[in-house]
Amino acid sequence: MMSAIPKEIINWSILNEIVSMDEDDPEFSKGLIIQFMEQAQTTFDKMQTILHTTKDLGELDSLGHFLKGSSAALGLQRIAWVCERIQNLGRKHENSFPSSEVVRASLFGNNMEPSSAASVESENMPQLDDSVYLGLIGEALQEARNEFQLAKLELSKYYGSPL
Amino acid sequence: MNLSNDTDISRPSTSASTNLGIVNSASQNNGNNNNTIKAPSNDFVRKLFGILERCEYPDIVRWTEKGESFVVLDTGKFTTQILPNHFKHSNFASFVRQLNKYDFHKVKKSPEERQNSQYGELSWEFRHPYFTIHNEEALDNIKRKTTVQKKIMLDDSTVLLKPNSGTQTGTEERAGANLILGNAVTKDKFNLLKRRVDRLQKDLDSAKEESYNAKLEFQKLNSKYNTVVESLFTFKTVNDNLMNNFNILCSVLNNRGIELPPHIYQDPRLKQNSGTQQQAQAATSAATQATTSASNSTAGMSPMQNKPFDPLNSAVNAMVPGPVPLSASLSNHNAVNAAAELQLPLPNMNHGPTITTDKGDKLPETYDSFVLREGFHVLLVEDDAVCIQLCSKFLRKYGCTVEVVTDGLAAISTLEKFRYDLVLMDIVMPNLDGATATSIVRSFDIHTPIIAMTGNIEDQDLITYLQHGMNDILAKPFTKDDLHSMLIRYLRDRVPLIKQQEQRAHATNEHHHHHGSTADNGTGTGTANGNSGGGVNHGSNSGDNSNGNGPHSVDRNGYASSEADSQPELLTRSQSHSQMQGSLDDTTTNPPGVPPQSLPPTSGQAHGPGRGVPLSTTASGHSSSAVSDHDVKGLVDDEPLLKKQRV
Repeated sequence: MMSAIPKEIINWSILNEIVSMDEDDPEFSKGLIIQFMEQAQTTFDKMQTILHTTKDLGELDSLGHFLKGSSAALGLQRIAWVCERIQNLGRKHENSFPSSEVVRASLFGNNMEPSSAASVESENMPQLDDSVYLGLIGEALQEARNEFQLAKLELSKYYGSPL
Repeated sequence: MNLSNDTDISRPSTSASTNLGIVNSASQNNGNNNNTIKAPSNDFVRKLFGILERCEYPDIVRWTEKGESFVVLDTGKFTTQILPNHFKHSNFASFVRQLNKYDFHKVKKSPEERQNSQYGELSWEFRHPYFTIHNEEALDNIKRKTTVQKKIMLDDSTVLLKPNSGTQTGTEERAGANLILGNAVTKDKFNLLKRRVDRLQKDLDSAKEESYNAKLEFQKLNSKYNTVVESLFTFKTVNDNLMNNFNILCSVLNNRGIELPPHIYQDPRLKQNSGTQQQAQAATSAATQATTSASNSTAGMSPMQNKPFDPLNSAVNAMVPGPVPLSASLSNHNAVNAAAELQLPLPNMNHGPTITTDKGDKLPETYDSFVLREGFHVLLVEDDAVCIQLCSKFLRKYGCTVEVVTDGLAAISTLEKFRYDLVLMDIVMPNLDGATATSIVRSFDIHTPIIAMTGNIEDQDLITYLQHGMNDILAKPFTKDDLHSMLIRYLRDRVPLIKQQEQRAHATNEHHHHHGSTADNGTGTGTANGNSGGGVNHGSNSGDNSNGNGPHSVDRNGYASSEADSQPELLTRSQSHSQMQGSLDDTTTNPPGVPPQSLPPTSGQAHGPGRGVPLSTTASGHSSSAVSDHDVKGLVDDEPLLKKQRV
């Protein structure tokens, strides 16, 4: 089952904890976030490349899983959510991805159940052709980039300087 | 003179008459040419011979000219004159049959020959190789043919073997019998084979039965295994529910203005520094009460009953949330209430066990914590740079030294060369996943705690990790507290390896037998609690230990002892007081994940630990959590499975 999209871009209880580490190591959290952003960009680009070249779902799964870990660790929960979708699509554990309207709507607390928005979400997932998953991952990747920009804005605001 | 078998067989044999096919020893003797004694076996032949020799009826029967055969000239007269007088045959055909039985043969003649025969057209000429004129001796060789008896079959083999008294036998008979015997199977052989077949049959049957039983056994085991797994999950669910309920209870209490010790339940609104001495002191008296009620109420807590209700000690106890039998908390409202009132420190799943002393000093922000010594060497196996930074930052914050490798293969080779107090292992990594790496590491290192860090926290995944030899699972993303809980769980009763080595260098004097069986993860330590009484006594000492600041030999030893179990090779068993250890164990027993129950003794102390309590208080409080955990032990043992922290 696809989990609901988190409303908040940032899970502050997580990020605050990291920020609190700045006490004895100023810039620690910021450095970490900058590192994440580089990592995320790189990963997005890798995904893009795979979508256009090898079309290797397994590789996309790995990259999704990878970025899910680091984004979640920083409390960037919406990015993590999209990454999880990419991971699961790569595994063919899911076969749908909400439209960008739905994703956007969730941001403003418009809580549309992803399952209702999603086309099919059955218990016995039919195995579709790879191209279907690749297409969905393509959409998800676009959403991930969007979410990334949103997070970047939010974080820039927080740190009071563009990241 | 013996006829070949072939000949024998080819001869026409008539089987009609009497002593058929019976071979006997007598006949064998007779069959022998050299045997001079004649059995009267061929009277018929001799009679005929005599008639011919004497030439009694020359115009009826006589030798042929050459003397090699005889001829019946007139069968009619032969039948009417000779047969009635000399033989018992009633007709000529019968006589001829008898001749045939002795292997006489009618000499065949073509019609022309017959016409030209000197003895007349109707004459019958018979011959036998040994039946010749004037040669009486040769008669010995004339024997009645053995008739092939169809009845002589394998199933009758006994008959064939049995010496028989039958009389009329000859070479041919014997030869025929031999032939049959040669082709037949003797009874012995037959029986032997039969026995073998029977035995094989038996073996086959028993093998079948065995495999059937094995199958049954396997199915039984399988279903048992499934049952166990199921019950584990059930247990986990129950446990989770209990934790939820407990947390709800805590929050309700909290909302009603009852302040709970932070390590039991942390209200978000609570400030870290809110702990007050006042509370601690109030708690002290209350603790006594709680202890009493608790001990009275539940048998599970019996060990505590022996404890003197020394306010100080109980306060001390309170500082360390001891594990309390689950049943106690559930069944005994009094205890729970008391605990609640007293702000009983109950370890909260979400928050690490509380460290009252050391932590308090060094890490002001860790309100709730057990003592975690500094200097633990942790191997972090993780491929994500962000996670590495974050995690190692946290670890360093907790006084650990961190080494990082980024895949499973590197982890294996590193662990082959170096020892670590703890390993944090990501699951999904390049080259080799964490679970597989762990199973390999386990082939040469079964002691070092290896904690899985993963986002996959499905039940099935958890089982897989544990099956691979991982000790526990730290769900990603985890908070500092989650990590701390895990560290406490596995390291709180240990001395960092590096310190052990130093220690070993110095402390060679104390070699006490280590009685407690402390599990690697420290959770199993419940056993040591048999000494709970001791724990109380040593409360003060252990308190010192917990302070950890002081280089108390005692304290170290205590830790060292538990350590020794887990990493024997590095340790000299320099544990000092077993009792000491008992107390330590007590403290250690409750793993963060275990539902804290109404720990009356603890309750008093709970206040103590509440941050802000003067160090001295905490120190003393720390030691004595005499809560006996026999009851908890079961829980504790199963715990890794149960504790999916963040799910």
